[in-house]
Amino acid sequence: MTDGGTPLGGSHARPDALAKVTGQTRYVGDIALPGMLHAAVAAADVSSARVGSVDTSRALEIPGVEAVMTAQDVPGANLIGVIFPDQPLLVEDRVRMVGDRFAVVAARSPEAAWRSATAVSAQLEPLAGVHDPVEALKAGADAVHDSGNLVHTFRVERGDIKKAEARATVVVEAEYRIGGQEHAYLEPQACLAIPEAGRVTVLASCQCPFYIQQGVARVLGLPLSAVRVEQAPTGGAFGGKEDYPSEPAACAALLAWRTRRPVRLLYPREHDLQATTKRHAMRVHHRWGADRAGRLRFAEVDVLLDAGAYAGLSTVVAERANASAIGPYDVAAVRVRTRVAYTNNLFGGAFRGFGAPQVTWAHEATMDRLARELGLHPVELRRRNVLGERRRVTSTGQRLPAPVMAKACLEKAVAASSAGQPARALPPGRWLHGTGTALVLYGCNLHHGGQHLDRSSAVVILQADGSAVVRVGLTEMGQGNLVAAQTVAATALGIDPVKVEVWQPDTTTVADSGPTVASRGAHASGLAILEAVRRLRRRLDPVAAELLGCEPSQVMLGGDAARVFGEPEQTIAMEQVVQEMVRRRIETIATGWYRSRRRRFDPATGLGSPYEFYAMACHVARVAVDPDLGLVRVEHVAAAHDVGKVLHRDALEGQIQGGIVQAMGWALTEELKLSRGRLLNPGFTDYLIPTSDDAPAISIALLEDAPGSGPFGSKGIGEPSFIPTAAAIRNAVCDAIGAEVDRLPLTPPVIVEAVAARHPFSFLLP
Amino acid sequence: MGSVTVSLVLNGEQRTFEVPAGRRLLDLLRDDAGLTGTKEGCGAGECGACTVLLNGLPVPSCLVLAASCEGADVVTVEGLGGDRPLHPLQRAMVERGGVQCGFCTPGVVTTGAALLEHGITEPLEQGRRLAGNLCRCTGYSKIFEALQAAAREPGDD
Ligand code: FES
Ligand code: FES
Repeated sequence: MTDGGTPLGGSHARPDALAKVTGQTRYVGDIALPGMLHAAVAAADVSSARVGSVDTSRALEIPGVEAVMTAQDVPGANLIGVIFPDQPLLVEDRVRMVGDRFAVVAARSPEAAWRSATAVSAQLEPLAGVHDPVEALKAGADAVHDSGNLVHTFRVERGDIKKAEARATVVVEAEYRIGGQEHAYLEPQACLAIPEAGRVTVLASCQCPFYIQQGVARVLGLPLSAVRVEQAPTGGAFGGKEDYPSEPAACAALLAWRTRRPVRLLYPREHDLQATTKRHAMRVHHRWGADRAGRLRFAEVDVLLDAGAYAGLSTVVAERANASAIGPYDVAAVRVRTRVAYTNNLFGGAFRGFGAPQVTWAHEATMDRLARELGLHPVELRRRNVLGERRRVTSTGQRLPAPVMAKACLEKAVAASSAGQPARALPPGRWLHGTGTALVLYGCNLHHGGQHLDRSSAVVILQADGSAVVRVGLTEMGQGNLVAAQTVAATALGIDPVKVEVWQPDTTTVADSGPTVASRGAHASGLAILEAVRRLRRRLDPVAAELLGCEPSQVMLGGDAARVFGEPEQTIAMEQVVQEMVRRRIETIATGWYRSRRRRFDPATGLGSPYEFYAMACHVARVAVDPDLGLVRVEHVAAAHDVGKVLHRDALEGQIQGGIVQAMGWALTEELKLSRGRLLNPGFTDYLIPTSDDAPAISIALLEDAPGSGPFGSKGIGEPSFIPTAAAIRNAVCDAIGAEVDRLPLTPPVIVEAVAARHPFSFLLP
Repeated sequence: MGSVTVSLVLNGEQRTFEVPAGRRLLDLLRDDAGLTGTKEGCGAGECGACTVLLNGLPVPSCLVLAASCEGADVVTVEGLGGDRPLHPLQRAMVERGGVQCGFCTPGVVTTGAALLEHGITEPLEQGRRLAGNLCRCTGYSKIFEALQAAAREPGDD
């Protein structure tokens, strides 16, 4: 215990760790019910076609098959999609992407189900389709949906570009092509639907049981109250289980409804890679200018997101990209335009960072370019422009409260980078070394546009033995929400964390709390828990006061006891206080609610306060590059984060380390090879995520000087841990090879090509 | 497809199973023996979530035919500790924050236990040999810390 006897800021064992390390945690795939059937989906192999008819007769003949269902068999609305109702659950007359479902199958074994699924045949009239977002927006392009291919445009318009440009002596222009990414959670999509007459329970690996509840209710035509969704232990998510799980859940629920038997749907890995959402590929065009003193004068950014075939969460992702396009820099004149285009590619969805990593990669690349043009060190150019005590207004015109930690993060990370040791010696060969820096200004929690979802529910139930049961509406998918909630509850109740049991959310025990995203899990659950504890204490404190012989206002909780303020010896065990409450039949359960503060923002100009508060971070990467083979080894990453307050040290560090390595994969090796909308590498043999042999050494500095509005002053860490890494690696590689690289990922061919066409800044090489 | 009889020592216990000839060891463990601690992350030998010890060596059980395990000694995550409630590496993983979503964890601790068993304690070497066990959550740092802590554990093994 730290922090005056509370678990706050310590590293007690996570409550879920023991079951996981002994194999006792029951993920969906580990649960089988009597009579349970196995589901499979019949998916399109082409990305664009008109559909004549779907023939299920051969599929029904496969032994063991109990049901094959197509669009006609949907009792409610054949519609999925969190924001735009543009996606049928089962194909009607059009195929718009590879993976669109013609039919779903339930059978007595998974083998029979998937065999049956491949026997479903559809009469197709292939269409050319459109697979490039630039082409998609040209006049005459094939329309993916009748509404046209432009889904939405966002903007930021601040200051007078013309005037500002007149004062710029150096202008750089670049076009960045940034690839997508697969989440590669270790547990593929999984759900289990259990029907009863008139209602259904769904157990799912997910980040938002409430989205699933809505999706299943709509597809079955049931009231929300008849659909109960429980979040199962979830084997990683990273955004890939935010919106997407509604689709498999609706499929399983349909089949369960029809067969009146439990139906489990587990995606085989290949199908998971081929059919689920991805991080958006983006084109980012920059024109930025600075004066001779190295002060940024203006920044023009044009972003184009490839949404793929359905809008999903693309507009919300674009909103964050739009608001994050300039980074933590003071620029008087800003023009940002962010457009979202439909194509027949795999659809983009939520993924850790939510549009910010791509635009951060771009603004940090441009900062390095500008530094080279100006003959300044990249760190020095950042020092001259980064937000700080005297420059506190963001690119959207939001004035930040002091202290602003961006500069402190920069200095800390730079210092830690030069002190840090690489994890390993390099194999023999020719290696060039480079260092790269990247900063991020991360808007905590949901953007103004998603504010209606920024709420959360908690329930705290005191038990007669002085322990407590806690329910929150936000999910644990590995990131540590359970331990964060446990720490907050234990601290507020003054009891040992082992006496606090936090249970995964279930739509029948907590109110709709929105999705567990935007690094808001610990924040929103924590504040709701604190509210519940406050309400409980209105009933508990008077009882404790009576037993202690003091005023209710003098009661303090700590060390599993109630005590009198100023008289530390006078205590009574929590257990006795709760027992007295029980004896007097005083309610020992309380709910808590959190909602974010209202703020001002104008969507037309993009000006105002898109976020309530911000977290800042700086990552510095040191790499070695083999210029002949194009190989990159990330030797060390120094990370400095403005975290507000540490709730649980191991969980926090784990987020940073995991975010860095996941971002390293995106930066270097994780290439989605698409051909006419089909993924050519749907397996871990050629979609390469980092292994233990690739992991860099990581140093972490945590800055606690600027409190956030989370519990005890904390700020989210899930996404800021990811966002700046790929940019830092890109800048380090460019530093090493002496050339600009404008595409992500930096695969060996990309690097070899860049070395061959070396840019004139090679004079900076030793 | 015909069925075959497989007798093996599973977590120290002599067991016999009657399974279809094409059954994978992974399915025998999960479906026939009810040991669901071993996970399936890919079914193709790419992720390591299904790792078990086969005659003391870590193997991806999704690539092993159950029928080929006649007379073998198989240890899964459930049996890793032997007579102890926890293997030292399991304890270290809990204490050092090496567990996040947990889906890779059974495979990681199984491979890790084999590394320790074979005296492989040098971190770079551990990193190389653990490379068949993908973890998407931790960035591996705290897994390495746990391996180091478990190797220091006195009086075990
Ligand atoms: S499930 Fe066997 S290696 Fe992935
Ligand atoms: S802890 Fe999630 S994959 Fe390793």
